[in-house]
Amino acid sequence: MKREILRFDDVGLTYHTRRGETRAAEHLSFSVREGEFVAIIGPSGCGKTTLLSLAAGLLSPSEGKVENAGVSFGYMLQRDELFAWRTVEKNLFLPLEIKKMDTAEARKRVRSLAEKYGLADFLQNYPAQLSGGMRQRAALIRTLATDPDVLLLDEPFSALDYQTRLNVCRDVAGIIRREGKTALLITHDISEAISLADRVLVLSARPAKVVAAHEMDFGEENDPLIRREKKNFSGWFELLWKELNG
Amino acid sequence: MKHQITYSREHALFLKKCRRHTVIVQLFRVGVLAALLGLWECVAAFGWADPFLTSSPSRICATVASLYREGTLFYHIGVTLAETIVGFLIAVALGTSIALALWWSESLRQVAEPYIVVLNALPKIALGPLIIIWFGTGSNAIVFMTVLVGLIVSVMHMLGAFVATDKNKLLLLRSMGANKIQILTKLVLPSSRAAFISMLKVNVGMAWIGSIMGEYIVSKAGLGYLIVYGGQVFKLDLVMSATCILCLLAAGMYFLVVLLEKKLVKSAER
Ligand SMILES: Nc1ncnc2c1ncn2[C@@H]1O[C@H](COP(=O)(O)OP(=O)(O)O)[C@@H](O)[C@H]1O
Ligand SMILES: [Mg+2]
Repeated sequence: MKREILRFDDVGLTYHTRRGETRAAEHLSFSVREGEFVAIIGPSGCGKTTLLSLAAGLLSPSEGKVENAGVSFGYMLQRDELFAWRTVEKNLFLPLEIKKMDTAEARKRVRSLAEKYGLADFLQNYPAQLSGGMRQRAALIRTLATDPDVLLLDEPFSALDYQTRLNVCRDVAGIIRREGKTALLITHDISEAISLADRVLVLSARPAKVVAAHEMDFGEENDPLIRREKKNFSGWFELLWKELNG
Repeated sequence: MKHQITYSREHALFLKKCRRHTVIVQLFRVGVLAALLGLWECVAAFGWADPFLTSSPSRICATVASLYREGTLFYHIGVTLAETIVGFLIAVALGTSIALALWWSESLRQVAEPYIVVLNALPKIALGPLIIIWFGTGSNAIVFMTVLVGLIVSVMHMLGAFVATDKNKLLLLRSMGANKIQILTKLVLPSSRAAFISMLKVNVGMAWIGSIMGEYIVSKAGLGYLIVYGGQVFKLDLVMSATCILCLLAAGMYFLVVLLEKKLVKSAER
């Protein structure tokens, strides 16, 4: 069994604002192993984004512990958040600049990633000239630029229309698998979770805690479109639906 | 890898229509100006009104020509232009810097807020006597007035833009481990470029208000001085001439900002 790379131990988190306090997580425990693709589903507003911020260390827990074995994280948001005033290439280099890793070598690696995943012809374009799917792919490559150990994906497909979404989803999942990354995907789309993940965690309504965890049994089949055709897909869907609404 | 794009007949027709529309708009713009000037000239020439009160384009030209012969035309223009531009640059630079400081520290922002609100509402001309006493009757007083009129507007405009920086992009940068300087230089400043340009445009107007107002209160030279002087000795030709020159200068300055905008914001980004 691979080593644990991220671990939540009875984590609680409370937001304090002038208007009051919001309990966003309570007794939240789970762990992610190296190379695993974990999907987390939960009702909207339950604390999913909070969970990712905790994992990335942007927030510290009010109670409990988050251990991450010193790994590095790459964050991908709902929208691509490419900077309109930078060319696609400059956007991809952004994390290198921020982390002061902007070496010729690193740039070469990012360029080869861009080439490998079909962005080579668009490097000198501005984001506004790219399609929604292309932009999301660029956002993923930007996330991969610093070669992080764990990818944190916060509903990265939910801003796309259905058709694009299925394709981009397959696209992005394929890249993550090929690059052998550990991934923590947040979604409120049950079928997306089943079709992508090795393991699905179900969160309760706010404050978030894990109410169920399931290993997906699709064997070596990692193509989300093919998974959606499998017999056991609908079984999982019904079960998760019940757990989410129960 | 530029392709030669060939359009359908329909699109070619559409483009032709667009071009014709542009030409017509331009023609009307020039036409309206010519008609107004012509009418104005007629009013004076046919004695429909007293040209002593209304002046006329030809009398304005004559006045400008005589100012030029006396050698004072460019002197007055230079004085006002220098005051306006120096005041404009100080207001823009200082205003943007103050906005940056207020963006940097939320506490500072909260402390400063009531002062900004009051200073914004205060009619700056009320400070006229104070300014004369503090800065004397030279160009310094007028530059100060110009700065005063533009400063708070610049601060509020830029602070608004800085504070409105996209929350998700901030989160993205923070997730990369960016520090505050990096957030400022990589995100807040570049994403505020459009606001900066629109602040410049507003400030072109503010600077002229400030400098002419300043010259009304206290001055020995400049276009505002000519206007006040012309009014006092009932030389309306002089008033009108100075006003027309002001129009041209203000338009020129605005045009320079538009040029800067084209340079700063590439069309491909939009
Ligand atoms: N910075 C914050 N300050 C105060 N409350 C917050 C903050 N961020 C999120 N919340 C609240 O915490 C709860 C969980 O938010 P979030 O983690 O964004 O949910 P999700 O991503 O599942 O939709 C919500 O009720 C939200 O209003
Ligand atoms: Mg969320």
